[in-house]
Amino acid sequence: MHDRFFRQLLRGTLPLLVWGTHFVLCYLLAAAQCTPAVMRAGGPDRVLLGAATAVALLACAWLLWRERAILRAAQEAPLLDWAAALGALLALVAVAWTGLPLLLVSGCA
Amino acid sequence: MSLVNSLPRPDGEFERLQEVWRTPTGWRFFKSVNNTSIGLLYIGTALLFFLLAGILALVMRVQLAVPGNTLLSPGTYNQVFTMHGTVMMFLFAIPIVEAIAVYLLPNMLGARDLPFPRLSAYAYWAYAFGGLAFFCTIFVGLAPDGGWFMYPPNTGNTYSPGLNADFWLLGIGFIEISAIAGAVELIVGILFTRAPGMTLRRMPVYAWAMLVVAVMIVFAFPAVIAGTALLEMERAFDWPFFIAERGGDPILWQHLFWFFGHPEVYIIFLPAAGMVSTMVPTIAATPLVGRRAIIVALVGVGFFSFGLWAHHMFTSGLGVLEMSFVSAASMAVAIPTGIQVFAWIATLWNGRVQMHSPSLFLMGFMFIFVLGGLTGVMVAVIPFDWQVHDTYFIVAHLHYVLIGGMVFPVFAAMYYWLPLVKGQRLSERVARWVFWLMFGGFNLAFFPMHISGLYGMPRRVYTYDAQLGWDFLNLLSTIGAFVFAFGVLLFIVDAVRTLRRPEKEVGNPWNAPTLEWLTSESYGNRSIPRITSVNPLWDQPTLSQEVDRGQHYLPGTATGLRETIATSPVAAEPRYLMVLPGDSWLPVIAALGTAGFFLLLTVKAMLLAWIFGLMAVGGTIAWLWQSDRKPPLHEARVADDLVLPVNAKTMSSQSWWGTMVMLVVDAFIFASFGYAYVHVSMRLMVCPPPGAALPGLPWQLASSGLLVASSVLMLLALRALGKRRLPWLVLAALACTAASFLLDLRGHQFAGLDPSASAWGAAIGALLGYQGLHVVVLAIAGPYLCLRAWRGHLGEHSRATLDNVSLLWHYTTLQGLAGMALVRILPLLME
Repeated sequence: MHDRFFRQLLRGTLPLLVWGTHFVLCYLLAAAQCTPAVMRAGGPDRVLLGAATAVALLACAWLLWRERAILRAAQEAPLLDWAAALGALLALVAVAWTGLPLLLVSGCA
Repeated sequence: MSLVNSLPRPDGEFERLQEVWRTPTGWRFFKSVNNTSIGLLYIGTALLFFLLAGILALVMRVQLAVPGNTLLSPGTYNQVFTMHGTVMMFLFAIPIVEAIAVYLLPNMLGARDLPFPRLSAYAYWAYAFGGLAFFCTIFVGLAPDGGWFMYPPNTGNTYSPGLNADFWLLGIGFIEISAIAGAVELIVGILFTRAPGMTLRRMPVYAWAMLVVAVMIVFAFPAVIAGTALLEMERAFDWPFFIAERGGDPILWQHLFWFFGHPEVYIIFLPAAGMVSTMVPTIAATPLVGRRAIIVALVGVGFFSFGLWAHHMFTSGLGVLEMSFVSAASMAVAIPTGIQVFAWIATLWNGRVQMHSPSLFLMGFMFIFVLGGLTGVMVAVIPFDWQVHDTYFIVAHLHYVLIGGMVFPVFAAMYYWLPLVKGQRLSERVARWVFWLMFGGFNLAFFPMHISGLYGMPRRVYTYDAQLGWDFLNLLSTIGAFVFAFGVLLFIVDAVRTLRRPEKEVGNPWNAPTLEWLTSESYGNRSIPRITSVNPLWDQPTLSQEVDRGQHYLPGTATGLRETIATSPVAAEPRYLMVLPGDSWLPVIAALGTAGFFLLLTVKAMLLAWIFGLMAVGGTIAWLWQSDRKPPLHEARVADDLVLPVNAKTMSSQSWWGTMVMLVVDAFIFASFGYAYVHVSMRLMVCPPPGAALPGLPWQLASSGLLVASSVLMLLALRALGKRRLPWLVLAALACTAASFLLDLRGHQFAGLDPSASAWGAAIGALLGYQGLHVVVLAIAGPYLCLRAWRGHLGEHSRATLDNVSLLWHYTTLQGLAGMALVRILPLLME
């Protein structure tokens, strides 16, 4: 594709895609394990979901760390660098926040 | 910087450009497909629906002004509130933001038009014909009455046996068509028709917002398209998707509806936010603070908005953990939204604000929207939501968000951009009256609703008892609604007065930095500018004169046809000359056929319906037949030192991208049907349910083999371009696809598939039906392609039809394989 459009698109949106994947996985697993078909005693598997959250957090943290150079020259940084860095920060906060209920809530009801 | 075209320009160059782009006058104006004409018609029609739905709101407020009122019967009240919500959301809010984009974006991007002008025209006319006919149902008592989100089982056949619900399902079909057509236009237009030098970094924030919105439409609308199709199938064929007794689930509808419905709130808000980000720097006369952060925030909101749908369902019995995830995401979306609000405040702080009419409405927007956002965070908290769910607190919240977040910015936009139409500004003195009436009236109408909601007043009640203590609050709301309406009326009077004044030079009345303030006519600008900055009109002071003199790109018409320059998506470097179609009645005929077909089908006038259906298909084929022709030139000079190819092939062409976007929509509709199958299966203890069975494996294997064979034949057809065997390969591929479908269907018939017996069977029926629909489309597209080949309209420079039909073919193959795999594998996973 012309001027590496898809590569740039992926770099700019990867952190948010990590958030999306984590969210979809958490929601679907929690929903599925509370249905008659695959009901799990004790409610959704919070250990598995916790592990998925830890992986997503690590991924976002790594993506953020990779963009740390922006701290030195934020004013001049191109839009793509901003997208990658700020997107990673947003995703990190959102994954942590979305994952918080795992510590507080259990069961299906 | 040296300019790309020298002076003087050749004699007659400008006149030829004007002639090619001339807008027809008189009644022929309606065949115009240019974005300026269609954009204005679109905006006007959307505003008409705003007024009509607003009148319905006033009728409701009169009914609720005093307790025990008998002005409206309960049944009529149900129709009135359903139509108010439906028309405001589907026929005003989404269309107006798309309409403004159709009108504004090409000029803001420096393009001559959108990449598919006839598609815009078709989408507009389908919306106008269908929407107006839909609205008329209220005059004959056939308007829908199940609320704007039409929850089954209330809207199923048992409780809504009349045609009312069918009209709703059909009525929003038109906005589905126009929204998706708009998304295709916007994505391809924004990525590929920007002025040279307008890199993604320099692209206006409004264009960014519309790009995000268009992508959101692609992913959000399929859910409601599938949902409405399922509900209509339940109503028409008794396929029990939402009937619990037969394994269906009303919650399935809620998931599908809100997976569309919540992103839709942002589909409405983000364009408004984009407009605000465009107007705020102008009124503060300073560059936008945090521009890059705002763009990232727009993208962030686009993502997060898809994780919020279930917060509309907190009282429907979802699992507590799922609700908590959604609650958290609903709070998280406040962060990127907050980034934008703080950036606007910082920009205003940083600059010297001129208190013109747009500024007033922008301030009003911020005040109201922030309040709506705060109550949004309140209702994201699950226990609070349980308390206020379905009360007037929610009515207050959603109006603060929607009127604050969208109507006020749209009014600001009308004050700001109306001078583009005839050079005349609206009256500043009247604007102050309009603003204070609207702002005061709005708060008077909706703030008390927070309190009446907390007092327990449920939404959608047609009246209430005097002893409940809601009288005074309701009376205040009614007075406020009329004050608001008076403000809108005053605006209309002023707008009509202004538009009747003689035309004058537009100029740049607000000293804005964006390209739409260059001199423009139906062809856009005289020449397509090269951009070197984020705020071109501020940083390139002579740009306007250079563009008007034709010193930038494409100062005339190179091919004698309508055309614009296609640029690369990131760096916006010129790639080819995109030839655009001219004015035509065909999109109007196709749209009339589409609207007539669906409306007449609903009232069961079958013969007439099919006549209109044929008109739609015939009009579309005739319109497509004229497109994808060999251009008069293969290369064209667009600047002294730049020659570009005319049109492009495969991945470079706009039609290839348009088709890809459509196929993504298609895939997500299919995924939604697939989700319905998974959802109803997961509710079973045994899958397939008792009395049902999966088809025999040999049937599906044979069917899969034929699908693969059809795609192989299409690949061979692609390589046979210009050869006589091409049409025969296409027809063989069609035979394979049709045979594949029949085998799959036969396999299910032998297994005893009965879609009305259980929701599981109905879900399989829906998957099969959707594949069947694709086979029917290929049965039209295949012979059409052959006809083009036989008539000599397929060649190296006119191959888009072949490329696009082949894309559709491979998609159908993949969809067929995925459908069969899903039906077969899910029960295995559940064992």
